[in-house]
This record gives sequence, structure tokens and C-alpha cells, in this order.
Amino acid sequence: MRLVGSAITTAILILGFAAIAQQTGPGGSQPPAGSPQSEAPPANGSQPQVDESALRYFASQGDTRRVNAEIARLRALYPNWNPPSDLSQLSAGAAAPPPDPIIERLWNLYREDRIAEVRAAIAERQASDANWKPPEELVTALETVEARRRLVNASDSGQWQTVLSVATESPGLLTCTNVDVLWRVAEAFARTDQPTRTRDVYTYLLMNCANPAERLATLQKALTLLPEQQVTDLLQFERKTGETPDDFGSIRDELARRRVERASLDSKTTASAEDLAAVERLIRNTNEAGPVLILGWYNYHHGNPARALELFKTALDRNGAAKAAEGYAMSLRALERLNDAEAFAYEWRERAPENMKIYLDIATALLSQDPAPRLDSQVVARIVPVVTTQRFSDGAQALGWYSYNTQQIRTARDWFRTALGWKPESEPSAYGLALSTQRLNERAAFNAVVAQWRGRSERIADLADGTNPGSRRQSAPAQPRAEVDVAPPAPSRPAAPRQMTVERVEIEQPLVRTETAARQRQSEARSVLGRSCAMTANPAGLSGDAALTRAWCLMEINRPLEAVAAFDRAISTGSGRAREEAAYGKSLAYLRKNLTSEAAIAAAEAPQTRSRQVELGASILTQRALAAYRDKRYVETLLALSERARLVPEQNDLLLIRGWSYFNLGRYKDAEQVFRAVQRTGHSEEASIGLNAVLEVTDQVSQ
Amino acid sequence: MTRRVPRLAPLLPWLLAMFSLVMAPMASSQSLSVQPPKIAGTVSSEDWEAYRSRFVEDSGRVVDTANGNISHSEGQGYGLLLALAASDRRSFEQIWSFTFTELLIRDDGLAVWKWDPGAKPRVTDRNNATDGDLLIAYALAKAGEVWQEPRYTTAAQKLAKAIGKNTFGRSNRSLILLPGAHGFGAGDRPDGPVVNLSYWVFEAFPVMAALAPEYEWNRIWRDGVMLLQQATSGRVRLPADWLSLQSGLQPKPADGFPPEFGYNSLRIPLYLLRAGMTDLEWLRALKQRWSAENEGVAVVNVVTGQIRERLMDQGYAILPAALACVLEGTPVPAALRTFEPSLYYPSTLYLLAKSLLGEKYPQCVSSAAP
Repeated sequence: MRLVGSAITTAILILGFAAIAQQTGPGGSQPPAGSPQSEAPPANGSQPQVDESALRYFASQGDTRRVNAEIARLRALYPNWNPPSDLSQLSAGAAAPPPDPIIERLWNLYREDRIAEVRAAIAERQASDANWKPPEELVTALETVEARRRLVNASDSGQWQTVLSVATESPGLLTCTNVDVLWRVAEAFARTDQPTRTRDVYTYLLMNCANPAERLATLQKALTLLPEQQVTDLLQFERKTGETPDDFGSIRDELARRRVERASLDSKTTASAEDLAAVERLIRNTNEAGPVLILGWYNYHHGNPARALELFKTALDRNGAAKAAEGYAMSLRALERLNDAEAFAYEWRERAPENMKIYLDIATALLSQDPAPRLDSQVVARIVPVVTTQRFSDGAQALGWYSYNTQQIRTARDWFRTALGWKPESEPSAYGLALSTQRLNERAAFNAVVAQWRGRSERIADLADGTNPGSRRQSAPAQPRAEVDVAPPAPSRPAAPRQMTVERVEIEQPLVRTETAARQRQSEARSVLGRSCAMTANPAGLSGDAALTRAWCLMEINRPLEAVAAFDRAISTGSGRAREEAAYGKSLAYLRKNLTSEAAIAAAEAPQTRSRQVELGASILTQRALAAYRDKRYVETLLALSERARLVPEQNDLLLIRGWSYFNLGRYKDAEQVFRAVQRTGHSEEASIGLNAVLEVTDQVSQ
Repeated sequence: MTRRVPRLAPLLPWLLAMFSLVMAPMASSQSLSVQPPKIAGTVSSEDWEAYRSRFVEDSGRVVDTANGNISHSEGQGYGLLLALAASDRRSFEQIWSFTFTELLIRDDGLAVWKWDPGAKPRVTDRNNATDGDLLIAYALAKAGEVWQEPRYTTAAQKLAKAIGKNTFGRSNRSLILLPGAHGFGAGDRPDGPVVNLSYWVFEAFPVMAALAPEYEWNRIWRDGVMLLQQATSGRVRLPADWLSLQSGLQPKPADGFPPEFGYNSLRIPLYLLRAGMTDLEWLRALKQRWSAENEGVAVVNVVTGQIRERLMDQGYAILPAALACVLEGTPVPAALRTFEPSLYYPSTLYLLAKSLLGEKYPQCVSSAAP
């Protein structure tokens, strides 16, 4: 196949050369059928492709009447066309036999492109007269048209070998009258991995064919098929003088644009001033975002974010959309305008994954500033859900440091734990967790982190050895400031209707306290298993104790539903003690997912100690109450709270829920009583708000 | 297996060949001793004119009128064959011009099979259909011979070689004809290879063997007969149009196609009769089903035997009549003797059947017959 292929290649080039040489050679008296007269020198670029084969035939037959009719017809079609000067020579030598009426009919059909009918008529005539032969010019013309059709059809269907073999068999096609054919042959070479041959075809075309529009289109095709260097080489054939000079400026601009585009993403590559000027020109001359984006990225990656920002703004105005927004946000960040960057990127975050990524990066950078910034609570509040739904570990860690530096140590601890859950190998998150648990004096949790990280982190080891007091801030001391609610995703909090204060209730959710008992168990399990509990999914086959350890480990990395499966395994196979602990753990797991009914059932799966019964029962009822409250089912909220109150005393945050439930049910007297009770335990802003709300409503009612 | 003493003397050579084939299926020196039909001059100019004026455009395009007016290689092949049968050299040249310039453009020398006047590019599936290629090559070869036109013979030979090179496949020890160069082989689909028995244009194989003797047409022909016997050995005794030959199992309906004896397969008896292969026992069973049991030609589920659609057009009705004529000498009913063209496909079948009857069984269609 290779040999055949290269044979075709050679043949086609030689034949192509021959065909073109024939047109351009000094003699030029016998151009192939259908080729225009004025090929050499390439002067009249606007010359249409006039098919003179019929005319030449009539001339050779000495049929003056038909010659004149055909000249008139062609002139009507092509006003600028002039009959070839050699017609008289043709007719002079002809013997002028009586014209055959079928010939004119055949040429007419041919001119109307009814090729099958020409063929049919010839066959019909030959069937009745075996000695009859069609004029040779007509046969050649037919074969050329058929070859062109096959070549075009094959090229439209990607049959490149056919394109090349037809071209080889019909070298008469490879002329400047058939520039489209030359282009298709060039493409066939490219599609069969012969780019040098493609370049050769373009070279011949540019050396020999005159039409400036076709010459420019040739370069445009080269841009899609050839390496840039070869396209650049072809530019040398630009004709700068003559009647119709070339203008390959757009090709040069495109090459420049591509060079700047490559340099735009690579800060080590610089583009030439000329290339940059070409792109600037493209920006001025078009309304497209494309070149603006390229120059934007070029400036961004070459130390000019201010100019980049302007350009990305322009790109946004030109509907550059997500890509432009990404650049704009990145430029703002590079200019250290982090607040603006966050606000802008937030608006665009859903448009594309890249926009989400840049938003998360900017939010993380915003939170991680040193010294810790004073951030609008709205800003932090909108960062939290995005970080949570995207499970973006670096963002969770940044929220941890932000909380830590704003003296919200418990919240910080929970964020660090969350960050570790999403990215278990993150040493900074582990360090944050160690710092915050030490500050909170949670010995077991602190020890668990140290046990796991001592060998891998010097600063965590130092914390444990007391050389680096944990009370020290991570960054420069910040002024105490108003607490901003940056609670981590678990536990989730109810969306309270119309009163902001209730949100504060959930910052320190009861469940968090309940789980403290389990935390130690979790941390221990985690330090035994390391990451391995996250690696294997199926607890079947584990012993009771092993399943229990796996389950606590899964709880530690915050995969409660997988933990349920492991607890189940422990319940079905473990000893009495293991079963009790497993049932307890399973309840906690469900509670983490807010599945209170499942938690209640799990709690009953094995007998529990009295204290655990109380603890679990209270937790379950707390969550039920909160869930009901969140769903505005106030009667159920009150039922759950009352049931819980029989087990443990009702703390202030839940008393407030009770008060707002009464309020929402229109039981203003009861609500007032509850809010006053809370207020008696000390000043409570939330209780005051509640009381005011009650007063407001009852005043209105009494009026 | 025993065979009946042949009743029709002119078919003796074929029957002897068949006999030795069955007795020694592995014999490789088997020659194709069937006398292919003469074709030229077997369709009247009135019938052909009725067909041509409806289904052949001036451009030489044969139009499938029931199928969105598309064209395909099969239709071009039939058109060429019928133009030859009507001795219409003009139309033959016209149809060939279209076939050559529009369809014969594949790199491997086969014809693209599907051409849609409403699409751009017009070729909407560049795969080939092997029966179309066979029909075109066969018609070209016969026309080259009859009209002494070397252009046709040369083109026929090129196409025959391309068919041999690109569409022969293997299934265990059988040599099979793949329906297309791509998509049907053992490696192309889980239940591959998949074949279509109606792509075996039996009358064409001896002609192909003369054009491209380096390929084993003889085995294609012989293994095709064996496949047909296997595929018709079930309870319903009808082959599905599309058969899976996966890993040497019994042929079974191919995945993704209805398990039906349908529009494709109903050509099989016509091809057998035209090739003179009239002694296959299956033809008797089919005649029984079509005529004696009064079922007529129908699309039948080959698993359940249920009839999905009865085909009433003249072009289908002539198939049982031709079978009854060839096997039992029954004259063709008067209602079927006058061509009433309707759609492209049944009209084509009608003329192919009538061409056979006119050439080899004139007694069934002569005016003297009742």
C-alpha cells in the first residue's frame, strides 16, 4: 500500500506539474479543454471559468453559424469574456463536413450538465450505428466532468485514496480552472499524512493561478491543514504588484494571533511587538471576544493584571461569557482586590466548572489573608454553603483559620475536622485541628490528632511536647470582633422563619455535645486504622470488634451512612458490650444525617446504659424538635420538646425555640412566659427580640 | 441424504453438481456448473418502459419510491440488470453514469450504498451493501459481454476484485459474504459475524469467478447453500433476514433486527430459481407454505411462526406463482401476467421473476397456457 501510495503521489505531482506547465508555457496553443485562455501571464484575476470546449469543437468543424451562436451565448453569460484568438486557426484547417445534428444536441446537454443523458444519447446512437464515434473533444470533456464529480463526491465522503487515484487518472483536472479540485487534492494529501505534498499543491497553485480571491482562500485552507511554519513559507508567493495584487494581511494576522495565543498561557514566552500590535488591530477591527481574551490572558500571564482587567472587561462586553469572567476574577485577585474579586466571582460561579474553581480559590484567599480581615457577615455566609456543597477542603480549612482567628474556636475545630474529612492528608488542617482542640482542652481529640500526625508534622509534635503553646494564634493577634456565624455543614441548622436569632441557637448544637463522648472512640479508631477505613467499603466478614472500630473510624471521617453498615455488622456479630456500643454508634450516625426515626430504632437494638439512653433520647428529641421547627410544624416541635424535657432540663436555646413555636401558633401568652423565663437567667438579646415581637403583635391585636 | 431423480433434464448439470456437493461438502475443486440466465432480451420494452418512466430519473438515478425517494447501490444494480434484460443500452448507460460518478467512490473500490437527494453531502452512509455491489458487477459483466463494451467489463472486474477482497469473511470453516465491509464481522459486534442470506445473488457467482478467479466464489456459493439449509431447518423453516453466526452455533436471528423472514429474505427463492438451483428441498417446503396452505407471501416471525404482514402486491404474488411454475409446471395466473407497477421494490421483483419465466419457462406464461 505504501508503495502504491507514493507512486500515486509522484504521478500526481508530475502530472500536476505537467498540466500547469502546459497552461503557463510559452506555446499555450493547446490548453486542456475548459481551461481559460488568460492563464499566462496571470493577469486578469477576475476572469471567470469559461467552458470553451463546445466553441472549440464548432470551430474545428468549421461551423461558423454555431461558433457565432456559442460566442454570443458565452458573452451573454460572461460580459468580460473574449473569444480565444486561435479559433480561426482551428477552423482554417478544418475540412468543414456537413454538421451532424446530434452533435449540437449532445453539446447542449453537456452545457446543461446533463452528463448521464449525453452518455445515454451516445450509447443509443452507437447501438444503431456501430461505426459512429462521438467527437473526441466531447469524450474528453465528459471524462473530465465525470472525474471531477467522482473526485468531489469522494472528497465529500472522506474517501481520500479515491480522490488521489482519480486525480492521477485525470491530470487534466489539475488546472487553475479547477482550483476547487486542487484544494481537494491538497486536502487528500493532508488526510493521508502527506503534508509535504499538500504544501506542494498549494505552492503550484500560488505560483500559477491568478484569481486573488482563490489565492487568499488557498492560504486560508493551508492554515487549517498545514503547520504554521509551512503556511509562513507560502506567504512568499504573495504578489505585491500587478493589476490585482494579493493581500495576505489577514493570514499574517491569523499567524500572529496564534503566536500570541500560545504565548498568552506561558509567562516564559514573549510575543513580538508586531504580533501584539496585530492582535490589537484585530480587537479594533472586529466585535469578537476571541482576540480580546487572548490579549487579556497574555497581559495576565506577563505581569500586567491592570491591563488584563480592562481587556477582560471588554471581552465581557463582547459576550466573552464564562472565560472572560474567569479572567476578570483572576485579574482582580492578582490586583489584590480580593473583596471585589469575591463578589464578582460569586455571581459567575455556576457558569462553568472553571468559574466555580476560581470562586473557591478567591474565597479561600479572602479568608486566609494575614492579618485576618474584617469580613462582612453576608460574605462569609455565602461562602459557607458553596464550600460545603463543593466539598472544597482548602476552603473548609480557610474557614477554620478564619474562625480560629476570630476567636470561634469550636467552629474552627469543626471546620478543620471537615477539611480533614474531605482531604485526609492535609497537614495544615490537622495542625488547625490540633491547635483548636488544645485550646478547647479536648485532651482525647488532641491526643488523637497528635498520635496520627506526630511522625509526619514537626509542628504538631511540638504542640504536644509543649514547645509551641497552642494558645498562640496562627497569625498576628487580631482584635476581638463581633462573631460571625461560620458554622460548618454538620450539624445542619434549621432555617428559622422571620427571626434571625434562632440561627444562633444551632451554632452550638446539642448533638455536638452528645457526640463528644463518641469522639474519643472515633479518634482512637481512626488512629488505629488510619486512612484504611475510607478505602474499603464492605464490612461483611469483619469480627464484631473490628467492625466496631471500622464504624467509629468512618464516623471520624464523617461518613455516617457507611458507618451504619459497619455498626450493623457489629450488632449482628459482636459481644453484648460491642452490640450496645454499636447500637449507640448507629443512633449517632443516623442523628448526623438527621434521620431521627432511624436513630430511635437503632437505639432500641441493644440494651443501653441509663445514661446513654438519656443522652440518645435527648439528642433524638432535640433533632426532631429542630426538624419540626424548620418545617414550621410547631405543634410537633412542642411535643418533642416536652418529651425531651422529661429526660433532661431544657436549656435556653431550646427554650427560645419553644417560645417562637408558641409565638407562631398564636399562643402569645405562653410565648411571653417562655421569653421572660429565659431573660430571668441573664440578659438575652434573643429573648428580648421575642418579647418585643409578642408585644408588637398583641398591641396590634388590642388596637 | 438421498436426492430425488431429477425431473427436468436441462437442470441435470446443476443437480449433479449439487449431488456431489452434498456428498462431499469439503471438495474444493467444485466447479460452478450452473447455467446463469441469459438476461438480455427477456423483459419486454413495454414492461421496461413502465418501470423506467416511474423509477429511473434522467440522471440515471433509480429511485426507491417507498423509502423517501432515496437511491441505493441495490437499486442501481437492479436498474442496470433490468435495462440489460430490456436490451435498453441507452438507459443502461444512463444508470451506469450515475452509479459510477455518485456511488463508486469508496477507497476500497466498492460502492457507497445510500444516497439521499435531500441530504448534503448526498451520500448519507458511506458503507457498502454487498448485494448492491454484486448486482452492479454482475450487470456490468453481462452487458460488457452482450454489447462488447470493454468499459463495462473493466469496471465489472474492478468491482468483483474489490468484493472478493473486502467482503469475504469466515465463520468457523465456512466462507461467508459479509453484508458490508464494516460493522458485521466477528470483531465488529458481539453476535458477529452477521449475514443476510438474500445477499447471495447465486447467479452472479460464476460470473464473478470468471472476473476475479483469485477469490473463492465457489466456496461462497457452496457455503451459502449450507447456511441456508441450516437456517431453514427449524420448526418454522424460514430464515430470518439477519442471522448471527456467532462462534459456530446454529444460525440465529441477529441482535437488533426483528427475528423475521421479511422483505429481504423473500428474494432468496427468486435468486435460487434464477440461478437454476431448483432442486433444493426447502423450495418445496416454501411452495407448500405459500401456495398449498394459502398463506401467500408474508412477513413471518421465524421463532413463533406468526404472520406480521401479508404482502399482496403483484411483485410479491408472482413469487409463489413462479415457484409453482418451476416446480410443478403450473401456469402463472392471468392476473399476474400484465405488469402493473406500484412501488420500486415489488415492481423490481416482478420484472426479475417475469424475466426468468420468459427465458426459461415460457410455457407457464405463453398465451396458449390456460
